[in-house]
Amino acid sequence: MTGTGVEEHNVPSPEEADLLVRLRAGDERAFEALVERHHTMMIAVARAYVKTHAAAEEVVQDAWLGVLKGIDRFEARSSLKTWIVRIVVNNARTRAVRDARSVPFSSLASAHEEAAVSPDRFRGPDDSFAGHWTRYPRDWRSLPEEVLLGQETIGAAMRAIHELPDIQQAVISMRDVDGWTGEEVCAALNITPGNQRVLLHRARSRVRAALERHIDG
Amino acid sequence: MADPGQHITCQDVVELVTDYLEVALPPDDAALLEQHLNFCEGCVFYVDQMRTTVQTVGRAGGPDVPDDTRQRLLAVFRDWNRS
Repeated sequence: MTGTGVEEHNVPSPEEADLLVRLRAGDERAFEALVERHHTMMIAVARAYVKTHAAAEEVVQDAWLGVLKGIDRFEARSSLKTWIVRIVVNNARTRAVRDARSVPFSSLASAHEEAAVSPDRFRGPDDSFAGHWTRYPRDWRSLPEEVLLGQETIGAAMRAIHELPDIQQAVISMRDVDGWTGEEVCAALNITPGNQRVLLHRARSRVRAALERHIDG
Repeated sequence: MADPGQHITCQDVVELVTDYLEVALPPDDAALLEQHLNFCEGCVFYVDQMRTTVQTVGRAGGPDVPDDTRQRLLAVFRDWNRS
């Protein structure tokens, strides 16, 4: 997986093109809109590389300055988002090296070992239905939509995301909050498609478990 | 084709579900998983819960940028804009 494959399919949208024009003209509102749209995701990406939230904030602030300084040279061969993330990743890597965090994805290994659902929800190895549910999960389709998509449930999802390991938080934010494709995430975080799916799986599984606790009580 | 004697358990399903939803499962595994879903209502509910989780997270949107952060970045912008 390389960044170049992604760029070809991913030129700026008309909306982005408009933002670009305004930004180059020094329009503060355009900058604010860009911050609103991308800042949280940029923090999530930076957090995958550096140790602390404070360091991520610094990395991202530097990245914003890099965006502004480079905006006239941005040639729109990639989407603005892809370009911005590349700047964040470059800054974050430099910072990680300086802080001697040489293994940025230290949580990758442990991600493989964790069960999506607690083993005690399944029948044990001596049971003739070993590995099958002891009690079915609840049918959420029978719940009113306002329960599933209401503010309280969304709040529970947000809190669960916040408690994830940094790299999982980055992946689920990019994929499910910001709507990135798997390929885009792989390119930005420099991980394999397999690792991307493992991280996404752990993240979604944990958030589902949190929603289950919230809904079932 | 998957061997008809083969089967997967519910405990397998909960680990394969993301690859399944990402259409990244090898065809044989996907067939086994679908066979399982044909007779296991619990796993149908589980897969639906995972889909609903993705939907709910999608509604969440990112948290708002904190106001002090926004002000700090606007200051960066104004500095840049002056130069």
